[in-house]
Amino acid sequence: MPALDNFFLIALPYLAVVICLVGSYYRIKTRPMTYSALSSQFLESKGLMWGSLPWHIGIITIIAAHFIAFLVPGLWQALLSNQTVLLFVEAAGLGLSLLCLFGLAALLLRRFTSEKVQSVTSQMDLVVLLVLLLQVALGAHIAVSLSWGALWSVGTTVPYLWSLLSFTPDLSMVQDLPLAVKAHIVLAWVLILLVPFSRLIHMFAVPLEYIGRPWQNVVWVSDRRKEAAPQAFVEGEARRYFVKGGLAAVFGLSLLSVGVFDKIFRFFFGPRLTAHQETELMTTRLSRLEATSSQRKLELERQENDYILVGSLAELNSERGKYFIDYTMMPALAFKTAEGLPLLISAKCTHLGCTVGADAVDGKILCPCHISYFSIDTGMPNADSPAKTPLPHLGWVLMDTRGNQLVSYSGKGAVKGTLSEAQRASARVYIAKAHQIG
Amino acid sequence: MTRDNSSTSKTANTLSFIADRFPLEKMNLEHMLAHKEVPVHKMSWGYYTGGMTMFFFMIQIITGLFLLFYYQPTVSDANLSVEYITKYVSVGGLIRNMHAWSASGMILFAVVHLITAFAMKSFEKPRELTWIMGVLLLIITFTFGFTGYLLPWNQIAVNATKVGLQSVEDIGQYLPGMLHEVPRILRETFQGEASVGQSTLGRFYALHVVLLPLALAGLLGIHLLQVQVHGMSQGVDEKPKKQERFFPVFLFKDLTLWGFLFFILFTLSLCIPFESFLPFPLLAPYDAMGATPPGIKPEWYFFFVYYPLELLPFWVILLASGLIGAVLILTPWIFKGSSRKTLTFIATAVSLYLLIMTLFGEQIYHLLKH
Amino acid sequence: MNISFSRTSQKLIAVTPVLIWLFAMPQTQAYPQFQEFSEKNSGRNVNCAMCHLNGDGPTGDGKGQIGGLTKEELDSLMRARSALAPGTQVDSPILNKFGNEIIKDIGKRKLLELRQNPQDLAKALPAQSDLDQDGISDGQEYMDGTDPLNPEHGDPLKLLLANLNKYRLHVILTFIAVMTLNWGIMQFLKGLEILTRPRQLPKA
Repeated sequence: MPALDNFFLIALPYLAVVICLVGSYYRIKTRPMTYSALSSQFLESKGLMWGSLPWHIGIITIIAAHFIAFLVPGLWQALLSNQTVLLFVEAAGLGLSLLCLFGLAALLLRRFTSEKVQSVTSQMDLVVLLVLLLQVALGAHIAVSLSWGALWSVGTTVPYLWSLLSFTPDLSMVQDLPLAVKAHIVLAWVLILLVPFSRLIHMFAVPLEYIGRPWQNVVWVSDRRKEAAPQAFVEGEARRYFVKGGLAAVFGLSLLSVGVFDKIFRFFFGPRLTAHQETELMTTRLSRLEATSSQRKLELERQENDYILVGSLAELNSERGKYFIDYTMMPALAFKTAEGLPLLISAKCTHLGCTVGADAVDGKILCPCHISYFSIDTGMPNADSPAKTPLPHLGWVLMDTRGNQLVSYSGKGAVKGTLSEAQRASARVYIAKAHQIG
Repeated sequence: MTRDNSSTSKTANTLSFIADRFPLEKMNLEHMLAHKEVPVHKMSWGYYTGGMTMFFFMIQIITGLFLLFYYQPTVSDANLSVEYITKYVSVGGLIRNMHAWSASGMILFAVVHLITAFAMKSFEKPRELTWIMGVLLLIITFTFGFTGYLLPWNQIAVNATKVGLQSVEDIGQYLPGMLHEVPRILRETFQGEASVGQSTLGRFYALHVVLLPLALAGLLGIHLLQVQVHGMSQGVDEKPKKQERFFPVFLFKDLTLWGFLFFILFTLSLCIPFESFLPFPLLAPYDAMGATPPGIKPEWYFFFVYYPLELLPFWVILLASGLIGAVLILTPWIFKGSSRKTLTFIATAVSLYLLIMTLFGEQIYHLLKH
Repeated sequence: MNISFSRTSQKLIAVTPVLIWLFAMPQTQAYPQFQEFSEKNSGRNVNCAMCHLNGDGPTGDGKGQIGGLTKEELDSLMRARSALAPGTQVDSPILNKFGNEIIKDIGKRKLLELRQNPQDLAKALPAQSDLDQDGISDGQEYMDGTDPLNPEHGDPLKLLLANLNKYRLHVILTFIAVMTLNWGIMQFLKGLEILTRPRQLPKA
């Protein structure tokens, strides 16, 4: 059907636009009084509100979206490449077209049912209404059955329109589209064609100043209504602010929610980790659990045993202490004295309970929290340290590999027993429950 | 006879005291919303500080609820769950940072609110209870900070908590007789075991997410009711020439201020992770077996008591804080006759002290210590 | 007399001096010069975890420390240690990503030289390398004493500038939203003001 296509998609558009422009110009110049929407608000206002308001809100937004896609297809496509935005646009489009349908239906019903309105209804009004109804229904149908139209139109109808605009008509992008889409395009041209002959011409008189201007109140000049008049003006003025404020609030809130909504949703949905991340996370979790369980084991060990191994005597030295956990589950340090005997000292700072560092510089260990130096020999803190009481020494027991007690020290008093050189190499240091005070 | 008289008059006094503070005839929406007016003068900005504190509290509740979805209060998982939130969960890092920044904002504005209310003499009859509720609310807010600090279970969290709890216990040695043991018992109750561990985490968690919010909400309810019933205090000596209505003028101005606060909070949370102020070794998960890393200190809002604590003998601080606490509670009666000029002078001095200790406490400490 | 060694024992003999060197001088392996410089330059506390896996450094038998390595890990440690020239991708079991990256970028030999001038390490690293992608280069994080592997950690002011740039759009949009809301609230206020203003009715 190339001939049909050529007529409807190339000839008709040019014809429609020329007629629309020339006709409208002629009508506005010669018969300016008819250049209006021919409002019938005074005849019947309730039905009008239910019809006109949803219809105009819906259709203006939809046409605006069509125009944006046509004017800046690159930006439009970039915007829609975000899936959330695409979903939002598609859903909004469908919702608005349903709103339009609802409005049109209400308007049509009103034309048919209100006696007053019927008397001013022309044949053309009904034609326009029906064409609009068909056009919107087609649009809604396309939105449902051929979804993501907001995106695919960029590659099809947009280049077609631009080819028309640049007077190099090119149908290659649209001729294979489904019939519904083609019909939608054709009806659009028909509607443009009808503009000068119908009330559609009022779209050239878009009352933008209505939004901000004070409400026009029709005040009846009768005694009964006189008192209400100033009140009505005040309300009108206030309402103007409310409309501005409401629009701003709606805009601000929707901007915020567009930015926030998908992120919050994904917050609750939870992250989807890659296998590698999952493994990493599991490994860390397991190692933390193991650390906790080893801590619990230490507690149990101290509960059950009379002696706890600190380490072998040979591994101890006088510069760097070995951390171990004493019977009260507090950290302590094991050093070796000049005589080659163990020196066990609590590592819980007597100031505020931080763990003292293990490095003994000049026989002193440091608590990093508030800079207290403690002598490991006496446990005494430096004079200018915030800690005032000494770190207590802990008792210990030296045993050989078979568990025979060689030397012991209870924490105070003298060391009991002696150690031969041969025993020194294999001796092990233990802490004893018996030495635990309290 | 006389005894009877005095006891009946005492009861009557108490009753009339309560009746003056909770006037039933004023407790209706009509009075609290429609008729309330806010004076306009050069100190009017002080009236907004309370609302700003409340804004941050609301942010705390919302972000806190979000964090509850992922946080796990066990010693093995707490740190990892926090890391999981910041690293993997959608906007988790932002929400966590908002929680941290907004906590700081809440404390900052609570303190500013207290100081301005003091300078404006907003504790005068019949607003004594409002003031006392406010002081209690401030204490709860600080406790929020202290308990929340432990929850990430990293080096600084656990070690700072250890230091804090030990300081509580140390109070005991200065108390006489029966009271001697009380701080130790208190510490053990909060700590729950020999060292800061799972029991402590559980207790702090319960405090932070259930008990403290409930207590704060309850007290805040009374505080706000009192504010609405008695209206804003005059704030300045001469009678203000202008008044604006609380609803809608003041309330809507408050809302726009909240809008700006939200923007600032959002930008800060998005751009500066709260933890980047700390050295990174302190952010490593707590290691029960290792040494305490250097640099342990409390959050900035405790600096005003922490650095003096480092520099002066403990009993001085103890005495001072006891005194300050008593003065704060008894302010409505102690400063009954003081002029606003005197109060403003005291408030300025206190603000200067807080400012200097918070900003330069560390430098002062190093200067005097080394 | 004919002494012959099996291949394994030959290998063992060859490796022994290295192993001895390895365990005999544990303190020299941690290169604390860099840590000291970073701390001094930034005034922040820094520990070995900036480059090493373990915050206490590579000596010891804990996680990421030489004493606790398996045989395979020891092998890759040896490989990392032999990467004297830059350009070799190494995977040392005692180093973290940043540590390995340093060896790859400047080589072990250069690193050993830099111990005398630790301030030059930042310059030696590639300026655009930013392992945690927080907008602050690794070298700069070393100078600032912040964690080069944690995007949530860095010098606060530098992070602020980098993130403001990164999240420009979010910040601007939020600002617009908040300003519109506030403007809307003020409009509401004006409307309410008019409605509730005490009116004088014209006398009939």
